[in-house]
Amino acid sequence: MYIQGVGDTTLDDVLAASGVSKSQLYHHFDGKDALVRAVIDLVGERVIERERDALGHVSTIAGLRRWRDALVQNNALRHGAYGCALGSLASEVTDHDALARQALSHLFAEWQELLAGVLRRLQDNGVLAPEASVDQLATGLMAALQGGYMLAQTARDVTPMATSIDMALAHIESLSAD
Amino acid sequence: MRTCFAEVLARESACLAGVTDGAMLADWRRRVVKELMTPRSPYALALRHSGDVPERAALLDRWRELIAETLERLLQSGAVGNSLCSSAQTPRGDIDAQKAAVLILAALHGGSTLSQIARDPWPLNAALDFALAPFAATEDDGPTRTRNE
Repeated sequence: MYIQGVGDTTLDDVLAASGVSKSQLYHHFDGKDALVRAVIDLVGERVIERERDALGHVSTIAGLRRWRDALVQNNALRHGAYGCALGSLASEVTDHDALARQALSHLFAEWQELLAGVLRRLQDNGVLAPEASVDQLATGLMAALQGGYMLAQTARDVTPMATSIDMALAHIESLSAD
Repeated sequence: MRTCFAEVLARESACLAGVTDGAMLADWRRRVVKELMTPRSPYALALRHSGDVPERAALLDRWRELIAETLERLLQSGAVGNSLCSSAQTPRGDIDAQKAAVLILAALHGGSTLSQIARDPWPLNAALDFALAPFAATEDDGPTRTRNE
């Protein structure tokens, strides 16, 4: 679903892709919105688990660069075509479905908190200046990542995503405590 | 869809061409934030994902070029980049306008998505403060952390 986009996916697409009957689908999901929310929960759980593994113990700029390398490499395998599963859902679902929007908002807050944790450890290690605003930097890094995914997806080329995150990490590094 | 791409491009061409100092860059940024936070505005529609739209790729390419040209002009004129060089930041002589433009466009794109799901302009403003920091075009008093604008 997240390849095609939520807005362009009909229940018939879901049925065709899954091989279940309409009555079976409605038995489990109360219409398309409920199905979309189930997809958000599933995708969100996977992304947060992946990011917790990748970021949970990072406490150096080099560690952040390894995180960046893994995301860029993974996205490059598909020429950036799929983008970020969670970001794609976020840019599609926002208007009509308040519950889906809130679920996504919580998931992004959770992901961003993992980035903020890394930045606080950088501060604790004396790498990042103590006066740097962790909230603002984590938001800037998340936006650079998500925007990078979207630029890569549109360009069918992972280069803008790599550039965007590299510039963001260079900025964070430039705020190092001397 | 096609018309919103054309409209964004026309407005961005005109606005960015007139930017000659950091204050004007800050004005540009305020205007774009306002546009992106207005539901169904051409800006909000143009950055909205849906399907495979070659026109969006063309818009983003051209928009990035316009931003890069503006940054290049500001750096060359010395309007930004040489002043306000605090000890905590790197010297500005080595700023790559092309790459900085990619980050700014990503911040607009990713920041507006985060702001839309949060129903709050704060993430977009924070993302732009972050991306524009080397050009000192941040909001005067920083992004205000209001939850319901």
